[in-house]
Amino acid sequence: MLGDFEYARARSVKQGCKLLAKAGGEGAVLAGGTDLLVNLRNGRASAKLLVDLKSVKSLDRLTVSPKNGAWIGASVPLNEIALHRGLRSRYPGLAEAAWTVGSYPIRNRATLVGNLCNASPAADTAPPLLVLDAVLEVSSPRGERTVPVRDLFLGVKRTSLAKDEVVTAVRVPPVSAATRTAFLKQQRVRGHDLAILNVAGLYDTESGSLRVAVGSCAVTPVLLPPLPEPVRTDAGIDDLARALNEIAQRTVSPISDVRASAEYRRALLPVLLRRLVETLLQPGEVRR
Amino acid sequence: MSERELRYVGTSVSREDGLDKVTGAAKYTHDLALPGMLHAAILPSPHASARIVRIDTSKAQAIPGVRAVLTGSELTVRLGLYLRDKPILANGAVRYQGEPVAAVAAETLDAARRACSVIDITYEPLPPVLDARDAVEPGAPLVHPDLGSYEWMKGVFSPKPGTNVAHHQVIRAGDVERGLKESDAVVEATFTTAPVQHVPLETHAVIAQALPGDRAEVWTSSQSPHTVRHLLAHAFGLPHQAIRVHVPYVGGGFGGKAGLHLEPLAIVLSKAADGRPVKLVATREEEFNTIPSRQGIRSTIAIGATKDGKIRALRATYLWDAGAYADYGVNVGRAAAYSGAGPYAVPHCSIDSYVVYTNKVFGTAYRGFGHLEVLWGVERAIDLLAQKLGIDPVELRRRNLLHEGDRTITGETITAGHGRPDLCLEAVAKEIGWGQPGERPKDSSKVRGKGISVLHKAPAMPTSTSCAVVIKFDEDGAADVLVSGVDYGQGTYTTLRQIAAEELRLPIERVHVVNDCDTSFTPYDWQTVASRFAFMGGNAVIQAAADCLRQLKATAAQAFETRPEEVECEDGHAFLAKDKSRRIPYSKLALGYTFPNGNSVGGPVIGHGRYIATGLTHLDLETGQGHPAQFWTYGAHAIELEVDTETGEVEVLKVATALDAGKVLNPKLCQGQVVGGVVQGLGSALWEGFQFSPDGRLLNPSFTDYKIPTAKDTPHEIVPIFIETPQPDGPYGARGVAEHPMISVPSAVGNALHDALGVDLFDLPLTAERIQRAIEAKKART
Amino acid sequence: MSAKLHEITLTVNGREERVAVPAGMTLLEFLRERLVLTGTKEGCGAGECGACTVLLDGRPVTSCLVLAVEADGRDVRTVEGEARDGQLSLLQRAFIEENAVQCGFCTPGMIMAARGLLLRNPDPSEEEIVEAMAGNLCRCTGYEAILTAVRRAAREEREAR
Repeated sequence: MLGDFEYARARSVKQGCKLLAKAGGEGAVLAGGTDLLVNLRNGRASAKLLVDLKSVKSLDRLTVSPKNGAWIGASVPLNEIALHRGLRSRYPGLAEAAWTVGSYPIRNRATLVGNLCNASPAADTAPPLLVLDAVLEVSSPRGERTVPVRDLFLGVKRTSLAKDEVVTAVRVPPVSAATRTAFLKQQRVRGHDLAILNVAGLYDTESGSLRVAVGSCAVTPVLLPPLPEPVRTDAGIDDLARALNEIAQRTVSPISDVRASAEYRRALLPVLLRRLVETLLQPGEVRR
Repeated sequence: MSERELRYVGTSVSREDGLDKVTGAAKYTHDLALPGMLHAAILPSPHASARIVRIDTSKAQAIPGVRAVLTGSELTVRLGLYLRDKPILANGAVRYQGEPVAAVAAETLDAARRACSVIDITYEPLPPVLDARDAVEPGAPLVHPDLGSYEWMKGVFSPKPGTNVAHHQVIRAGDVERGLKESDAVVEATFTTAPVQHVPLETHAVIAQALPGDRAEVWTSSQSPHTVRHLLAHAFGLPHQAIRVHVPYVGGGFGGKAGLHLEPLAIVLSKAADGRPVKLVATREEEFNTIPSRQGIRSTIAIGATKDGKIRALRATYLWDAGAYADYGVNVGRAAAYSGAGPYAVPHCSIDSYVVYTNKVFGTAYRGFGHLEVLWGVERAIDLLAQKLGIDPVELRRRNLLHEGDRTITGETITAGHGRPDLCLEAVAKEIGWGQPGERPKDSSKVRGKGISVLHKAPAMPTSTSCAVVIKFDEDGAADVLVSGVDYGQGTYTTLRQIAAEELRLPIERVHVVNDCDTSFTPYDWQTVASRFAFMGGNAVIQAAADCLRQLKATAAQAFETRPEEVECEDGHAFLAKDKSRRIPYSKLALGYTFPNGNSVGGPVIGHGRYIATGLTHLDLETGQGHPAQFWTYGAHAIELEVDTETGEVEVLKVATALDAGKVLNPKLCQGQVVGGVVQGLGSALWEGFQFSPDGRLLNPSFTDYKIPTAKDTPHEIVPIFIETPQPDGPYGARGVAEHPMISVPSAVGNALHDALGVDLFDLPLTAERIQRAIEAKKART
Repeated sequence: MSAKLHEITLTVNGREERVAVPAGMTLLEFLRERLVLTGTKEGCGAGECGACTVLLDGRPVTSCLVLAVEADGRDVRTVEGEARDGQLSLLQRAFIEENAVQCGFCTPGMIMAARGLLLRNPDPSEEEIVEAMAGNLCRCTGYEAILTAVRRAAREEREAR
């Protein structure tokens, strides 16, 4: 048995919020369970009530449109996200990130919302959602609100959400056809592994805006401060990468842990950033 | 053996147990349940070294469903295969973080775990000793202050009371200082390996029941039913017949299930719970943190050679980080030492192998038994020597490999039947295209390199190691083979089935190797370790089958009214040699023959065969000279890999592995051993290793941070190559190959990295981080 | 300590099961202990090794991280359901003949991961096979024979249609 907790299947978001509120801070939303149940088993989390919203019809929707962007319901598993044709073509960086979480069977259960709410600094879906400026739709007994992803993470495994709040979806703003996204993850093995370092980038070839986010390098995933100038499509890769690296090294604060040393993470940063800008500025060239 | 063509031996017969395994019908200890069974949980120590001041189990006893709570103070038994240093539960002191301190048996696993969590223990933490170098310093904290009071196997092992040295093995051949002085080039370097875990997919599991009259019955996921029984009998002071051990299907062992692990604890829990059966299964975290591992090593190796590349001397000091208990570690330290010069002719050799206690999870037997760890250093040192001499690494090895007539460092003379390391070397060098430039990587940030290594190992086993086999027949003329060796995946039951079918002259469908071992009726086998089961079991099966044929022929001769010499057997029939039309099927002979008038002769056919190690001697305690090896298996690896020079990541492109198997009894099974062993070797080479906090806590006791190779991490290509130089006393000329594919894999990787990057690495695992750091350091120097 | 029981109805290997389970019981525990279908194994309890892989509504999942209550109204298939009427599937036969089975402890999970793959994609590419199988750890075989068996089963099952 994983624990002493109780389980309730909510028929609606409203009911789910009520159940969580009644649990007085000792409730948790059970999405895919691939983080929550692991943490309940090893004692890193405790809960008296698990509230399951996966039967709520609206939450399993995934829609992508050029005009409205993407709407990813809280129950949508990562495999569905990673393999969704529309999402892959519009937001390849996000699809790629979703695809690298865990293993195939894990991704049949794990959700995007769960990956975010678990709030590991290494969360793979966080960097792409940061550069895309995505927004969480949140419900509680007090009503609805939205939380930009950039305001979600407070620290290791800590979010700005209240204990009785339920994330119902992630909304990703529409992107123009001129926008490119990419994601890179550094692991120890090629099989399923947590990130030693992960980076995501969004480049708008028309406006020259380049947004970069870095994970596993601080207590939260980090959106880097912007470059002073817009980036031309014919920009020199070396200079651009160097500039980005300078910003990144100043912004992140990696630690040494069982996965990698701080020095190695700092050494990998320029490598991954360079490869990221190569992918974003020279997408025709297949690197790996 | 007759001139008849082999039907089964040498072919890729499929496993008989495959059916049970692919349908989920195979029952492992994890799957078994007995009526009235209780579930047990253990409470591990949070400290690497501490005095146990006080234990209060009253809250645990009060949890509903709890039937027994035990701590070390109630248990006086001391365990240890070679050196009896280990309590069943920590008593008075804890010696490693993860050591079991208390245990509970309850109606449910949840109740047992809950009870463990409310056991109140007061510890007085003590400064732990975590590095073997610190442990051998005078004044170091003693892991076993009472070492002098323990029993140990005299004449074989030499612990040093008052120190942390559990064993010191010496090899002295020739005059090493003179040899080094005579050398034109000497290289000396220090190499390390991190402790690793076997990671069997089935964790350790046992069900034990204490029976009336001081008896016990045990079901255990083990490689050695008779050793389990023997050690339990010894530990509890009982006759062997008082203990019965069953071994069902086993989900992997790799040496980690060779000896005694959770069985004693489960028995004492059952006794304390009024004889109800108790099931104790290690969680994956306990498998990493509590169950033993492969000890780490720090080896300092000096090799000297003349300028034309003839090795004159090898001097080595090994510091084995044995962890908190001696277990198999002392024997690893002994056996790896006598192999410590590699498969080379080394006239002057001096090896000091120290097995040292530290306050960490202890080491046990692991595939390769110390040879991967030692040859990591030796094979890297050979390449360093090649660099210094300006001689090609393959050529340097070629000039020094053992040949017929050479002597090993323990004084054994190599014969024609020993096997051919040179042929193994040539085969892999050719397969990898040694000396030819490989394809250039497409990516400019990547470089490629090739590396070579050789290996050798003999079974590390007592001089009296033996195996017995019984073959009995069913009414329908089919044969059952009873053995106490265990097939935990390596496929030996299939090999023995092939040999039995061949020798009994029976179609293989009519031969069955009984899967379960039971010390009550499967005949004695020492342990399924050391790559000796196919060799000894095969020989015993051949003898048992001959015994059966003798009986069948004697009975048939009576039926034919002739002499047994006139009777032949084939295809499950006995027939008259000079008139093949006169034939009797085994089904009419196997339980005796009945004449038409009703008179019966003969009787149930039961054949027995046995094999005992021959000609082995102990190693001289002063010089290490002696004859420890029943046979040597030689091999070589050649690896081509690609390195990302920016991140340090390694991608293994190709591994060619050659082994002199003597005779490949089943090609597919042998290939399976090579592919599996190479991948496991790459695990040790590139990713696996325990990490400890400064206070001795294991930081990666789970798959989250202890990474083993997945299906995405394998080489693009593994090419197994088998040389067949017959082993004169092996079954059909075969020798063991089970451990060998793993040995020297890290060495070849390290050598390939030098070829690719021009950097020399000395410490396993060769993580991307370490490789990247070495690349940066090289850049900074140039 | 007496947990509330939830009534659930689910189909396991084609047979309907109506049971009452506590919230904290995983699907893996339910299968192994309640239904005594011990083919599905526990290798780590944390979703990392894949030994507990079963099909949930036709999709491979690590059953150690699924609560039994979550399987209410769902369809579950385990290795015990792979053979039909005592006949091994082509997939099972390929595993035996390619020596993809050594100790066998990872085998049920491997077979279910492969079955999940072939259900959704009867003609998988090499990359798709590896991706589908890579979540299952094996220590014995080095994976090569397992991938060969899956590749062969895919081909043979297509040909058998």
